[in-house]
Amino acid sequence: MRSTPRCLRIAPQQADGSRRKPTNITEALSILRSRNAGREPFNIVLACGFTPLHLKTLVQAYLQRALPDRDVELNTGLFGSLAETIADAALQRPHAVLVAFEWADLDPRLGYREAQAWGHKVSTSVVDVCREGLDRLVRSLEAVPATTKVAISTPTLSLPPVFNVPGWSSGVHELALEELVAAFAVRVSRMTNCAVVNQRWLAQHSPQTARHDAEADLRFGFPYSVSHASALADGLSRLAAPRAAKKGLITDLDDTLWHGLVGETGPEGISWDLASNQQLHGLYQSLLQALADAGVLLAIASKNDREVVDQALQRSDLRVAPTAIFPLEVHWQPKSASVARILDLWNISADAVVFVDDSPLELAEVSAAHPGIECIQFPQRDNTAGVKLLSYLRDLFARGEVSYEDSIRLDSIRSAAALRDDRAEGADQESLLAGLEATVEIDFRAGSSDRRAFELVNKTNQFNLNGRRFQEADWAATLGQAGAWLAVVSYKDKFGALGKIAVMQGRALQSGLYIDTWVMSCRAFSRRIEYAVLAELFRRYAPSEVVLDVAVTAKNGPLRTFVKSLTGTEPQGTCVTARERFDAACPTLYHRVILTGEAQDG
Amino acid sequence: MADVETRLVGCFQSVFPQLSEADIRIASQEKIEQWDSVAAITLVNVIEEEFNTQIDYDRLPELDTFGKVLEYLTVDRGID
Repeated sequence: MRSTPRCLRIAPQQADGSRRKPTNITEALSILRSRNAGREPFNIVLACGFTPLHLKTLVQAYLQRALPDRDVELNTGLFGSLAETIADAALQRPHAVLVAFEWADLDPRLGYREAQAWGHKVSTSVVDVCREGLDRLVRSLEAVPATTKVAISTPTLSLPPVFNVPGWSSGVHELALEELVAAFAVRVSRMTNCAVVNQRWLAQHSPQTARHDAEADLRFGFPYSVSHASALADGLSRLAAPRAAKKGLITDLDDTLWHGLVGETGPEGISWDLASNQQLHGLYQSLLQALADAGVLLAIASKNDREVVDQALQRSDLRVAPTAIFPLEVHWQPKSASVARILDLWNISADAVVFVDDSPLELAEVSAAHPGIECIQFPQRDNTAGVKLLSYLRDLFARGEVSYEDSIRLDSIRSAAALRDDRAEGADQESLLAGLEATVEIDFRAGSSDRRAFELVNKTNQFNLNGRRFQEADWAATLGQAGAWLAVVSYKDKFGALGKIAVMQGRALQSGLYIDTWVMSCRAFSRRIEYAVLAELFRRYAPSEVVLDVAVTAKNGPLRTFVKSLTGTEPQGTCVTARERFDAACPTLYHRVILTGEAQDG
Repeated sequence: MADVETRLVGCFQSVFPQLSEADIRIASQEKIEQWDSVAAITLVNVIEEEFNTQIDYDRLPELDTFGKVLEYLTVDRGID
């Protein structure tokens, strides 16, 4: 008998109870009751054709759980008028619109609440009415501002016995309806701000037979069981407020990346294919390559002899390119020390990283040393658990789109490491910087639609003026303020391009030049880019002083060190830097600065 | 009985967090503005979750005070 699928996971500890899942109404109300009032609101509109009842409570609770720093406020439209509710929501410009509709919202004949004709005489007309209803929905969704996220759930309930075919047969009309809904889902998924709940994911969390609550449907107009409403609310809230994707994966080798102990059997003795019944390891390699292609950082932490591992990594049938993995910590030292060095080189925090190993002992050792890291055991001789692991890893790292910066991330880390090695070898700092052939490009034309800029603002921790995070609608509103400007900074040098690495946002007013947001990727540190950008601002706007809206966060030490270099004091709150002070503090700059948008802005 | 009453007070507090414990014990749909039809259904669900029971929806209109709900649970549903 096969073992129960299990996979040891040591997840980072949550400091409070805010992450508990509101699987029932009591828990949902408890989450909403314990939220802190007075925080910045996160406005959502729930649009559905039926009475929202528990779905409203559960959606609000799930979003409140996902956004503990916000005060989630939920409005519902007039149920029964889905397209109008969405159109009205478009005018309100909320942070997110959540749309849940059922078959009956497309044609009342597909529900139980209105006694109308069923059977073969109406079959064709039902399909036609649904087609028109879906077209209306598309038109209303097109009117929602691009800065408002839209999460959509297509019909989740079984059809009533409206068509004259037995329940075990799909029937041409039911298939035609499914085809219409699938086409609708494709159309709206192509809109940049829309996402659709995956029906197969939903089926894993809410079995079809437990979804409809006939009592609640016929008495109150709410068609869902509480458990189904909870699963649906979970799916919608995940789309409306996506969690940050993990950035890096550190993997063990023996019995993880491949089957077998390479030190015992040699490079030819390890396996990862179907023929040797070790396909799971091959699939894991394929997933790692896919993650690397999407900009996820990969590293190895293995207790082995480096020479034999290097030979194994040269095998041509390996499904992940060794060049996609950097660095390789292969020796006999504790893995916690290996992980520490990898995190230092990547310059990302442990909570953005996953560690995969087959040994519970190694996982425990790493977890104890790096409490934020998510440690996952690679299952042995358990394909069911292994396949689940692959999907789980995909979900941890998945992001909607792969940017240019994602594609060059590993190269930029290698070049940063090369620069660091040069420094470690005692090369003169000024000579190093002067010889970098660095180019800083500052784009003043970028707007709220610049995805990379928005991403940087919301994920950068260390060089971050005040830690402020934005929803898309907030970011668009900020850039729409009087005198607002945005500077998106790209960088390249002789080691390669880093892409867009910094974002500065502020206001040029009569009273002065204000910098409200300033972030820079840690990959771009130690190149004096921050000085070059500030120097350009002084040149461009010619203010006598610059006002920085600094706030101390747990992680923005590098930013504060920089500001202190300008002001001479530990920054707390608003900091003012006079032109003369900056000129005196600014070190020699060797960058070639290219401005984009200069001509337009005069 | 005392335990059922305390747990029922907790249910009412979940749905009507603004009410004190004393107010809850004398609460009625007539006096509590927030106790509308939506709140009534929510309250029923919370009670069902707390006591792992099912409330007969046909009896819903008559369960319009804290005391009547308590009596329904202890007498009709036999919860003690």
